[in-house]
Amino acid sequence: MSKARAPLRKIVVVGAGQVGAIVAIALKRALPACDITIIGTTPDPAAFADNAATALAFTNKLHDRLGISETQMITAAGASHRLVMRYFGWAETGSHGAMSYGTPSDPAMQSAFARNWGGGSKGSTRQPQMQSVAQALADAGRFIRPPNDAHTPISDIDYGLRWNAPAYRQLLVSIAQQLSIGHAPGDVAGVTLDESGSVASIEITGHGAIAADLFIDCGGPQAPLLSRLPGHATQDWSDHLPIRRVHLAAPGQPMLALEDRISFLGQGWLGECAGRDGLQSTLASIGGLDDTAIVSALGSAPALSIDCAPQRCEAPWIANVIAIGDAAARFEPLAGLPLDLAHRQLSLLLEMLPGQLIEPLERNEYNRRAVLMMDGVRDTLSMHYSAPHAAHLFDLERSDHVILSLDQFTRRGRLPLWEEAPFSASETMGLMGALGIAAGTPPQFATMGSGQIAAMRQGAEKLASDALEFVPPYQQWMAQMLGQRS
Amino acid sequence: MDSKARMHVVVLGGGTAGWMAAAGIAKLLPASTTVTLVESEDIGIVGVGEATLPHIRAYVERLGIDEAEFMKATHATYKLGIDFRDFGKIGDSYIHPFGSFGEDVAGVGFHHWWLDQHHRGNVGDIGDYSMAVAAARANRFAPPAQDMTLASTYGYAYQFDATLFGPFMREFGIKHGVNRIEGLVTSVERNPENGNITALCLKSGERIEGDLFIDCSGFRSLLLGSELQEDWQDWSHWLPCDRAAAMPCTHQASDIRPYTIATAMPAGWRWQIPLQHRMGNGYVFSSAFCDEDKACNAIQQAAEGKALADPRILRFRPGRRIKSWSHNVIGVGLSSGFLEPLESTSIYLAQMAITYLIELFPEKGRIDARDRDEFNRLVDMEYDRVRDFLILHYNATTRDDSEFWNHVRTMQLPDSLMGKMELWRRTGRVEKYSDGLFYDASWIAVYIGQGVIPQSHDARTSMGDPARIANALNHLKQAIAAQVGAMPGHVDYLQRNAARLAEAA
Ligand SMILES: Cc1cc2nc3c(=O)[nH]c(=O)nc-3n(C[C@H](O)[C@H](O)[C@H](O)COP(=O)(O)OP(=O)(O)OC[C@H]3O[C@@H](n4cnc5c(N)ncnc54)[C@H](O)[C@@H]3O)c2cc1C
Repeated sequence: MSKARAPLRKIVVVGAGQVGAIVAIALKRALPACDITIIGTTPDPAAFADNAATALAFTNKLHDRLGISETQMITAAGASHRLVMRYFGWAETGSHGAMSYGTPSDPAMQSAFARNWGGGSKGSTRQPQMQSVAQALADAGRFIRPPNDAHTPISDIDYGLRWNAPAYRQLLVSIAQQLSIGHAPGDVAGVTLDESGSVASIEITGHGAIAADLFIDCGGPQAPLLSRLPGHATQDWSDHLPIRRVHLAAPGQPMLALEDRISFLGQGWLGECAGRDGLQSTLASIGGLDDTAIVSALGSAPALSIDCAPQRCEAPWIANVIAIGDAAARFEPLAGLPLDLAHRQLSLLLEMLPGQLIEPLERNEYNRRAVLMMDGVRDTLSMHYSAPHAAHLFDLERSDHVILSLDQFTRRGRLPLWEEAPFSASETMGLMGALGIAAGTPPQFATMGSGQIAAMRQGAEKLASDALEFVPPYQQWMAQMLGQRS
Repeated sequence: MDSKARMHVVVLGGGTAGWMAAAGIAKLLPASTTVTLVESEDIGIVGVGEATLPHIRAYVERLGIDEAEFMKATHATYKLGIDFRDFGKIGDSYIHPFGSFGEDVAGVGFHHWWLDQHHRGNVGDIGDYSMAVAAARANRFAPPAQDMTLASTYGYAYQFDATLFGPFMREFGIKHGVNRIEGLVTSVERNPENGNITALCLKSGERIEGDLFIDCSGFRSLLLGSELQEDWQDWSHWLPCDRAAAMPCTHQASDIRPYTIATAMPAGWRWQIPLQHRMGNGYVFSSAFCDEDKACNAIQQAAEGKALADPRILRFRPGRRIKSWSHNVIGVGLSSGFLEPLESTSIYLAQMAITYLIELFPEKGRIDARDRDEFNRLVDMEYDRVRDFLILHYNATTRDDSEFWNHVRTMQLPDSLMGKMELWRRTGRVEKYSDGLFYDASWIAVYIGQGVIPQSHDARTSMGDPARIANALNHLKQAIAAQVGAMPGHVDYLQRNAARLAEAA
């Protein structure tokens, strides 16, 4: 007869940034009786997930689940919506392409049955390229949050949020306080292992030893807990990813826009993330840029410059310590990926939440999937450097998976499934299109008549015009949202 | 496209796999192919294979075939799952549904809540929390909804007459331009340089040239096996059944079950597949543990209804070719591999191969080795995942009443399966993947149905108020019972939708 496992009594989360805070909130919501303490002071500025001002669509679902409403995000954290990511110069100088989120809905795949019952081709075949509804809306500057109680012309649209990072962290901290999550300032000075190799307690400067059943390392790139454990090792990604140095500008002019931009600059890229509290510019380079080059690319002197050594840990969960966010993987802050990865790993932890006693097989399964997630991010980044212009300049290694995907996409217009990837197959194909990677034509479409294509184009245009008619200007909606609250 | 760029596809074999492949290619790649199919009345088709999986609907829809017409022509009934009897132990019965059980609560999988209530002695069968199971048990059917409601939590497949499905697809294929040739292939011509097959030679003396050959010759595997000698990976040590005694019967009762029954037997198991006009029966057994006469006897004894024919013996080997696509030959159906029909996966596997072949169809008449490798990777993945799931049905048992069950209960498992089962036993968790067939819900159905109850489940289930949880489960059970109660009977539904009914014979 199966028995419920004894629940965790005490969890210590190391790291008081936005990753540590949301992890603590999620665990407290899952285990209301558990004593949860956050250790640490302000986040390491070199931590990309911890300081991220944007993530991807997955985060919205996580927020929902944790009771963090989008209205709160808008009113308290300066959030706004990104419908498309525009890529400049990746294909060639002067080129641009847009990627939007969400998967065009196939009603047959929407039902609960389709989600629960496997089988069938899960990869994706590229449909003839049509303008997406999201792109039409972004171009027109029209959008509202899709109502979730009715089917509307914008129901299929997914989006990422961007926000004011300090305000977002503050919002999370205040929620954590309401939930009676403890906080102990200090740094990790040492760990004490028990005879089984698990962490019995950790030594906190100015505080003393704290014992717990489970420790979560959200302590940033140093991985202050995980890196102290025997068996910890890292895997270097620098053969796959070129960025070595990241420069962040101070926030610029406030900006309300439905798109963000990533421009390829030859020696790296410039990210421009529209924020209601200021445009956020990030320059990522292969290193060795002189100050004038940096200022001219960034538009101002950097407020902060950070080294970037791309890598992941071999296993994010060792003994009773689980690393999430920058402590698990470090890589350039492109397209919202760092925080998205942290949030998906958190969600995996919630799915596989251990009991007081840790089951090694469960830990293995967690590590298997968490590693797939991390490698999926590396491969998504690697896909960026496979864009024609970037590939021409950099000579980088690619995983078998990226090689297979590029081959299948360019010759056959299809993409094999990526387990635990940040984007769905159709989103990834959208990304590859935006990056200027030329797609092959799937055999079943090769002989599609021009009439059929025209009909599909008309269908797509109709969808876009319906959506444009349905929603007001984004600015108007946002003003209303903010007005309601003040 | 000029005629040179058109690929001439030759399909060898006119069974279910052959006609599905020929019709699919002719319909979906009309401008880049010409399709010829060779079949031989002297050899005939295997003529079994009556139970399907929900994916068959995607094939039927994609080809633009009308469901009613298709069901009428093949005397099809609806299928909501398989009732496995006597597998975990004699007397057990559970349904592996085309659907899931309950819903996640507070982020914790439904089965953890069920296990917790089970531990407290507060719940009945986990099937009570599945629409598909409840409807099957009640012999009722209604098409599922396509929304997020309870009515969308199940799917369905068909049970059809295998001897009618091929001819139906043949008619469809010929209408879409497939050139059918009746004749016996006696030899094969090959290109001495690259080993590719260039032509099939018929007994009549006719030669049929082609660019691409699809081997659907059934267990004979004439091209992939006999001619190209592609290596075979044998799985009989895990799946010892290698024979079937098939015997169709009349219906015994007027009601028709919307599901298949698989009943464990001393040296294997037997199927009961209800069609509109008759009941398919057969005993799948291991010749190492039971001889053919004994098996024929056993199926005659066990089958209900009047026998429509004498039992017919079919012989097979479980396993697959290491490569399903070699040179310019692609094996689809029984010629590429065989997994016994315990979970009705064979037609699915043929369908998958066809789908992948269409996605990877040679461009401009040239086969690219990368596409061939990708095809083989996908086909292998599909076979291997199904294989482990089938082995589970045999190994997860306490039966010790025959040598056969002693063997499968104690045999060495593939590592991939052992890890999955151990994870389940310790924690009640299911290894997760999104590719291939059979997700969590299916594994959970078989584990719990066959009495593999884990030692522990998610800690979060112990934290709520047990009475409230019991209440919520009860509420779900009643909601399901009420919805099922409002569904018409299976036969009723078919009669109300009479376009689906075959003309009385
Ligand atoms: C006992 C049993 C039960 C099964 N139950 C199910 C089930 O419930 N669900 C399911 O999905 N599947 C089931 N299957 C599998 C299913 O029957 C097959 O997958 C399906 O029928 C496809 O068979 P096929 O077309 O590959 O081969 P066949 O039906 O054997 O067709 C072979 C074809 O090749 C032709 N041929 C062979 N040699 C030559 C030659 N020399 N010259 C010319 N033509 C030639 C034959 O004439 C014939 O047309 C079952 C199989 C068995 C054995």
